[in-house]
Amino acid sequence: MNPPRLAVWLLTYRLRAEWREFVIGDLEEEFHARAVASPSAARRWFWRQTIRCLARSLPRTPQQPTPGDPIVQTFLSDLRYSARTLLRAPSFALAVIAVLALGIGANAAIFSIVNAVLLRPLPFDEPDRIVRIFHVPPQSTFPGITRFSVSPANFYDWQRAAHSFDSMVLFRGRQFALTGSGSAERVAAGAVGAEFFQVAHAQPALGRVFLPEEDSPGRGRVVVLSDKFWRSHFGAAPDIVGRTLTLDGEAYSIIGVMPARFSAKAWAVTDRDLWVPLAYTDERRAVRDNHNDAVAARLKPGVTLAQAQSEMDAISQRLEREYPQANTGWGATIVPLQELIVGDIRTTLVMLLAAVALVLLIACANVGNLLFARGLGRRKELAIRSALGAGRGRVFQQLLTEALVLATAGGAAGLLFARACLAASATLLADQVPRAEEISIDGRVLLFVAGASIAAAILAGALPALRAGRTGLNDALKEGGRSEGAVGIRTRRLLIVCEVALSVVLLMAAGVMLRSLSALRNVDAGFDPHNVLTLQVQLPVMRYKTAAMATAFFDNALGRIRALPGVEAAAAIDNLPVQGGSVQPIVHEGKAELLPRDQPTVAVRKITPGYLKTMRVQIIRGRDVADTDTEVMLVSRGAARLLWGDADPIGRRVTLPLQSKTVLKQVIGIVGDVKQGDLSEPPMATVYEYTHERDWRALVIAARTSVPPASVAQAATAALHAIDPEQPVQNVRTMDDVLDQTLTSQRFSAMVLGLFASLALTLASVGIYSVLSYIVRGRSREIGIRTALGARTGDVLRMVIAEGMTPTLVGIAGGAVAALASARLLEKLVFGVSAADPLTLGAVAGTLAFVALIASVVPAYRAARVDPLNALRDE
Amino acid sequence: MWAKSQAVALGDFEQLVLLGVLRLGTDAYGAAIRQEIHARSGRDISINAVYTTLERLETKGLLRSWVGEPTAQRGGRRRKFYALRPAGETALRQAYRAFTAMAGGFEARLEVK
Repeated sequence: MNPPRLAVWLLTYRLRAEWREFVIGDLEEEFHARAVASPSAARRWFWRQTIRCLARSLPRTPQQPTPGDPIVQTFLSDLRYSARTLLRAPSFALAVIAVLALGIGANAAIFSIVNAVLLRPLPFDEPDRIVRIFHVPPQSTFPGITRFSVSPANFYDWQRAAHSFDSMVLFRGRQFALTGSGSAERVAAGAVGAEFFQVAHAQPALGRVFLPEEDSPGRGRVVVLSDKFWRSHFGAAPDIVGRTLTLDGEAYSIIGVMPARFSAKAWAVTDRDLWVPLAYTDERRAVRDNHNDAVAARLKPGVTLAQAQSEMDAISQRLEREYPQANTGWGATIVPLQELIVGDIRTTLVMLLAAVALVLLIACANVGNLLFARGLGRRKELAIRSALGAGRGRVFQQLLTEALVLATAGGAAGLLFARACLAASATLLADQVPRAEEISIDGRVLLFVAGASIAAAILAGALPALRAGRTGLNDALKEGGRSEGAVGIRTRRLLIVCEVALSVVLLMAAGVMLRSLSALRNVDAGFDPHNVLTLQVQLPVMRYKTAAMATAFFDNALGRIRALPGVEAAAAIDNLPVQGGSVQPIVHEGKAELLPRDQPTVAVRKITPGYLKTMRVQIIRGRDVADTDTEVMLVSRGAARLLWGDADPIGRRVTLPLQSKTVLKQVIGIVGDVKQGDLSEPPMATVYEYTHERDWRALVIAARTSVPPASVAQAATAALHAIDPEQPVQNVRTMDDVLDQTLTSQRFSAMVLGLFASLALTLASVGIYSVLSYIVRGRSREIGIRTALGARTGDVLRMVIAEGMTPTLVGIAGGAVAALASARLLEKLVFGVSAADPLTLGAVAGTLAFVALIASVVPAYRAARVDPLNALRDE
Repeated sequence: MWAKSQAVALGDFEQLVLLGVLRLGTDAYGAAIRQEIHARSGRDISINAVYTTLERLETKGLLRSWVGEPTAQRGGRRRKFYALRPAGETALRQAYRAFTAMAGGFEARLEVK
């Protein structure tokens, strides 16, 4: 057991040479004696002694004038002097450091997120050359949608014609049931073209990746494993290549393993358990009007985004001419991968960065206040210094150095605080922001913290230092005389005004975000999400070879779930509300299909009988689908209006040409509009189809319960496993959770902003309280005289409270103007409420005024109790 | 100053350190003096303060010092021992005399209960 090495080093470094050996020896000797009883207490003791030695040895050591730059020398001696004076006022120093640590720490935490998400390049080779390519659908039929999945035939035409890219690949996500080792397991796979690993510029850690000829149905039974899957399922066996894996009942030969760094959560297709070739049949490759796949590409070196885009535009125009029936109105757009990953969160992060900067400003105003009070307390010292020849600039410099010392300590503490915050919120962040696993404190964050600390020192220190440097020599040296209460009150009032104004802006932002969140949560989505349990089931084709088998499974499953205690109704749908899903053109009976630009499109959902009752979707006219129906359809109110205007749709027949150009479906009812996509978007025109002769394998079962839905989850899963123990059941969650998960980013913003706003409120109220206490203390004599002359308690209370409330009200007014001016930044992020919402602004103003009042009451009460005799005797 | 003609006047802390050296005899070095003062007077002073005082007292000619052998307990470092010079004893005696003279008659009142 040895004494703390850092402490010994510090001592060695700081102590005078002729003492060093004896002092450290003495300390170490006593340390060993104490360590016998308690090593940790001994270490604490050693540190305490060290700090006392360091603090003491500074003033006592006669300073030899060291050769060097006089500016540096002055700065160093200021540093020493500051450290010494601050050590003598530890509670002041701690208060300032704590406030700055909160401000700088919050900034460091948010900047760490910004750094990881926006600034750091993606973990791929030359990531700025990786792009995603999307279709741009015709705006007449897909209003507002600018990025659409790609159809295979168009992709292969792009791939052949485009010269701007090194490589281009078609891919899609795919689920497999992994069998052969006990119970079935769902694995997430990427079905990718052979060029996929070239686009990512990635080499396998073991074996090889796909050959071009393996991207075909006959030869596609090969699989590349992720590092994670290789470790979890094969214990990282080095002889893995050549073994087989049973996926959806078919044997796949393992040909390679990717390294761990290849899997980046930010790009979902790389964050998969395994990859298989896309292996489309020639028939599938020729599909041009069904857009379901994703495209990525790597730009050639030196090719700009604009050049590539104009080439894609030219190709799209040619394809429109060649295939008008499928392609009229369909363009292409190139989006850098980085942009795609962070695009949505950028606005949120920039807003949070702005908000957290306000927190730092408020912290600076508070620290400015503290420094100011301290500067006044040291007027005599400063006056003596200037009497001895220190110029005003010199005094200013000294005080600023002191602020710098404090800010540096605050920055260091803030860094620790930020690290703790990020560690504590790691799981939370993982759901909220892309690339969350990459968030860390790196060199750039350190640089940012250093910059923030210096800025804070200047912001907080400059005004008090200027003001203190201006102190009149005579006034300062006069004992008693004019009370110090009159000095600098205007400056401090100004700081209060700033603090309150900044708090208004933050509180306003938080309030608007909270109202937006609650508006989204309470928006009428067209169904009743409470007390609904959902379970996702995807039947593998290999095990459920015929449509009849799949239908029998779901009929059986729904029957069993309906029979469970606590379940009122159950049914299935292919995609739950707010989860998106298929959008298809729809054609009236007897009409020819128009060009894509002109053909109306609707959201198409497959449902089983009882779905409307389970989800409590309103039936406006007609009836629900029934088991006996063949080829029937329900239309939402919006779809009815879109397709038939004011005419009655019931009894009419339509085709969905993407599914079949001949099968006619008859409309049997009109139902209420349901939000199929974002809660913040208006509901989309939707049709619900049902047929008795169905071949549906991927459905979500929804069960309405009379008990808390989560309590049925286990029984419902068990009911499915009773039918087929090997069938995986996924995403067992309540409909409320489904809705909540679509609001994560809003909840994140509201939560973080709320946190900042409460911090701001606390700092502002502490600031008002401390200034008022100071004023009351300084004016106790005046108050005493007033009381002696007959002022009543009420008068004094009123006077002090007015003193606190005046700058508060000015601040609120200024803050309101600033909040309204900055509302534009928030406008994109809120829903159902204006970012300049007057009601919220009123509530914010009221809250701040109330808090300021509370903060004024204690000093006012103290003032009212000033005993005139005591106050006057003090003089 | 009146004290100059007879002996060096001692500060309160200097008295404590000199008494510590006196009590410890030939075993008076920094840590021991610090612990002695802590144990007897309850004042937990820093080692740095002890050395500052010892150095001042040595400069004033009240103490002499010598360096001992290195020990493992001290990480191979040596001790610096101190002992009173005659002038130190005189100064201490002077201080004690002044204190007892001033406190005379108040023993019962000043006694810590």
